[in-house]
Amino acid sequence: MNRLYFFPIPIFVLLAHFLKAQTMVSGIVTDRRGEPLVGASIAIKGSYDGATSDSLGRFVFKTRKRDSILVSAAYLGYETEAQAHALKGPTLELRFRLKEAFNDLNAVTITAGIFEASDSKRMVMLRPLDIVTTASGNADITAVMQLLPGANRVGEQEGLFVRGGAAYETKTVIDGMIVQNPFFSSTPDVPQRGRFSPFMFKGMAFSTGGYSAQYGQALSSVLLLDTQDKLSEDNTTNVVVHLAGAGVGYTHKGKVSGQLAYTNLAPFLSLVKTNIEFIKPPQGVGGSLTVVEEVSKNAKLKMYATYTDNQNALGLPNYDDGGRIYRFDLRNRNFFTNNTYNVSFAGGKWGWQNGLSYSRNNDGIKIGGFPGDRSDERIQGRSVLKRFWGDKQQNLVLAGTEYHHIKNDNIFGAYRAKLRDNYTAAFAETEFYVGTHFAVRAGFRGEYSSVIDRANAAPRLSVAWKTNQFSQVSFAAGRYYQTPEKNYLYLNRNLGYEIADHYILNYQWSKNDRTFRVEAFDKEYHDLVREYQSAFNPNPFRFPDGPTDNAGSGYARGFDVFFRDKKTIKAADFWLTYSYVDTRRLFQNYPAEAMPIFGSKHNVSVVYKQFITKLMTNVGVTYTYTSGRPYYDAANPTFLGDRTKPYHNVSIAASHIRIVRKNFIVFFMSLDNVFGRRNEFGFRYTSDGQSRFPVIPVSYRTLFFGVSAAFSHRPEMPKEGKLDF
Amino acid sequence: MFRTILFALLAVAFYAPTKAQNAEYQSAMEEVVTEIQNSPFGTDLIPMANQMERIAAVERKEWLPNYWAAFCYMLKVYTEPVSEKKDLILDKADQLVSRADSLQPNNDEIAVLQANLASARISIDPQNRWQKYGALSAMALAKAKTINPENPRAALLEAQTVFYTPESFGGGKQKAKPLLQAALDKFAAFKSTSTIMPNWGKEIAAYMMSEAEK
Repeated sequence: MNRLYFFPIPIFVLLAHFLKAQTMVSGIVTDRRGEPLVGASIAIKGSYDGATSDSLGRFVFKTRKRDSILVSAAYLGYETEAQAHALKGPTLELRFRLKEAFNDLNAVTITAGIFEASDSKRMVMLRPLDIVTTASGNADITAVMQLLPGANRVGEQEGLFVRGGAAYETKTVIDGMIVQNPFFSSTPDVPQRGRFSPFMFKGMAFSTGGYSAQYGQALSSVLLLDTQDKLSEDNTTNVVVHLAGAGVGYTHKGKVSGQLAYTNLAPFLSLVKTNIEFIKPPQGVGGSLTVVEEVSKNAKLKMYATYTDNQNALGLPNYDDGGRIYRFDLRNRNFFTNNTYNVSFAGGKWGWQNGLSYSRNNDGIKIGGFPGDRSDERIQGRSVLKRFWGDKQQNLVLAGTEYHHIKNDNIFGAYRAKLRDNYTAAFAETEFYVGTHFAVRAGFRGEYSSVIDRANAAPRLSVAWKTNQFSQVSFAAGRYYQTPEKNYLYLNRNLGYEIADHYILNYQWSKNDRTFRVEAFDKEYHDLVREYQSAFNPNPFRFPDGPTDNAGSGYARGFDVFFRDKKTIKAADFWLTYSYVDTRRLFQNYPAEAMPIFGSKHNVSVVYKQFITKLMTNVGVTYTYTSGRPYYDAANPTFLGDRTKPYHNVSIAASHIRIVRKNFIVFFMSLDNVFGRRNEFGFRYTSDGQSRFPVIPVSYRTLFFGVSAAFSHRPEMPKEGKLDF
Repeated sequence: MFRTILFALLAVAFYAPTKAQNAEYQSAMEEVVTEIQNSPFGTDLIPMANQMERIAAVERKEWLPNYWAAFCYMLKVYTEPVSEKKDLILDKADQLVSRADSLQPNNDEIAVLQANLASARISIDPQNRWQKYGALSAMALAKAKTINPENPRAALLEAQTVFYTPESFGGGKQKAKPLLQAALDKFAAFKSTSTIMPNWGKEIAAYMMSEAEK
């Protein structure tokens, strides 16, 4: 029976073969350059028949289909190609040449002048987490950005000094909105931290020039910070206690978060030997409220508000009075709110981003008992409409407008200065791809500032070309305008915009967690504000009361190199940057063109981090070098002809993670300038030029430690290890 | 009554060709599923993924070919040498699994695969990704367990998560042991409803158990 049943099958198959002849389909699948594609899928529409291309890109299969067929070849990362054929003979030979599809991996990105840190994008060089794990970074965004190529280290003042630019030439932008007071209020020779925690942000982009038309009012650089989206539905409580204070926060269902912080540097100052006398240790309270909500599937609302109240008193030497110590009191009260509402519609083809922010900053200052109060306010509105197109909606055209109302009030001894500015800007930009290997971003920005009653128009252009799978070349150029600093505008409203023209050429290679990049730049300054004085006064804190005009100029030229390797050593991260800049300027009260005091020719940073899984500990060491900076000595006939000794710093940091009942506890410590090198940032001379005082760090060696804990109700532990099958 | 008869007639009328089609589908699926299941770890599963996709292109209402193709791509991530390509592969797998999910909503096996895919995303860059994808993975796993608390692959992923979490993070082989045992028990009790339904993971659980017992 079995045999009988078995027997007819081959006969049937044979019959079928005669009745319905098969066609042998064979061929090859390659890319546009003729390279074979291995593992491509060849399919006949409406049937299971097909094959996978082999190591030579070749395939062969049989089909019972008759007459006309539609054959397609598909390959990951390529566009599917379909061909119609008539089946006539017993064989059919095909050839597919697939075109690369647009995706994150093969698409070129504009890298000239921009350094990105992001969670969402894949091809970035830094992650937000890197901010807190980098030694010498002290979990401060700006401090870590200073380790990147293009940044010039200036130890005695906060801010980002980019490619020979001054700190005021860099603007901090949160979700598209300019931040009026990104740092805690400045005190002489004590650099301040940034106001914002790195954990607030999902992405950071540090532009070293050539940035987009969406931003303005920064001659050198913008630091773009994008706030976190809603991550989970969890309730989380976090507590932090460290040498300089304590903080507590609570997040409700991942969308409403409140933070409170108290800072007092007294315990820190009692442990560390300082070079500056703190009459009243810096102390303060602060709080913030964040709401992140997906209002609907296509609409996101983000609201952030913060208030801080800080005070301190310093004893500073008076250079005009033989170094006698005088008292500098500061009480800073700052309110800042930033709100954005973003919608997308028509299936993501259109995007509309809106922002509204307000900031108010009051500095109650007493200099030797005399008031020097300053206050500022900024109301800001922004709206950008975007239209995307292309198969992955990779192309974009946008138009937007900004309005700022800025108020500044200042007491400088006898001067009571007031400034009101209505600043409006309109911009349009397009970013599009030609194939996957060529991208263009072209934009235009127009601005009007009421305080100087002048308008400007600035073009911006970037192009990028992918030279092969792992490397690319980009170029960026643009013109950048900035309204003169308020200190000059108080007395002269006839000043015009300061201008910088940028030209940047960039090469980048990136493969398997290794990145190499080199960038050359030329920045030409025009129309910088010049102040005329009978004799040069080197006091950086003086009120500029001389006549002013826009006759200043300057340049910064150079290149920088960046190499990063996360691959060679397991669980390690290594990066090396070198920046060279040749810069000279004639501006402010400089009597002659010179390398500015914030300039330095060579900057090097070497960062090494290692995660030791067994100990659950992250250790890091950072070495930084800055070549000598100019300082003013009246005895030297060459203006700013002297150089400080070079700056060297080795810093270490460690953090240890413990899990107690699914709650995270992180212990952290850092030691800055381990070898206690006596770095100097410059010299200040008494007005008779006879004696000088070095400008030095607050302390030569700094120890800091603390502990932070997060108590969450996450149902599962995060998966740290690598899954394997 | 008339409606019932009409319905019955219609059902009969459509049943016959569907059944014929089903037989071809069934045998084609069986062939590829067997091939996938008999492939040792490290085998290139792309030809199988391609075949599954070809079947999916014809059988537009079937979720299983999409499921299996996504499964093949998931495994591909762990053998892909170029780390930049891994996300591209997972994008493809996500696309396939969401198609399966739309054809067969609220399916525990699909949810488990989604959880596995989120975990694969984490493995590319654990430090930076666990926050986002850890939550996604946990959510998908919780969904799978709600639909079917007895799903052995959900239990396996749970055990794996603990297995590969460092001891000081509250994980480790010893902690994973009872979870692996629970997964093995569920595998033993598991009765597949068809030869082409998901039925993988038992060997992985057994291998991990042997590692945990070392």
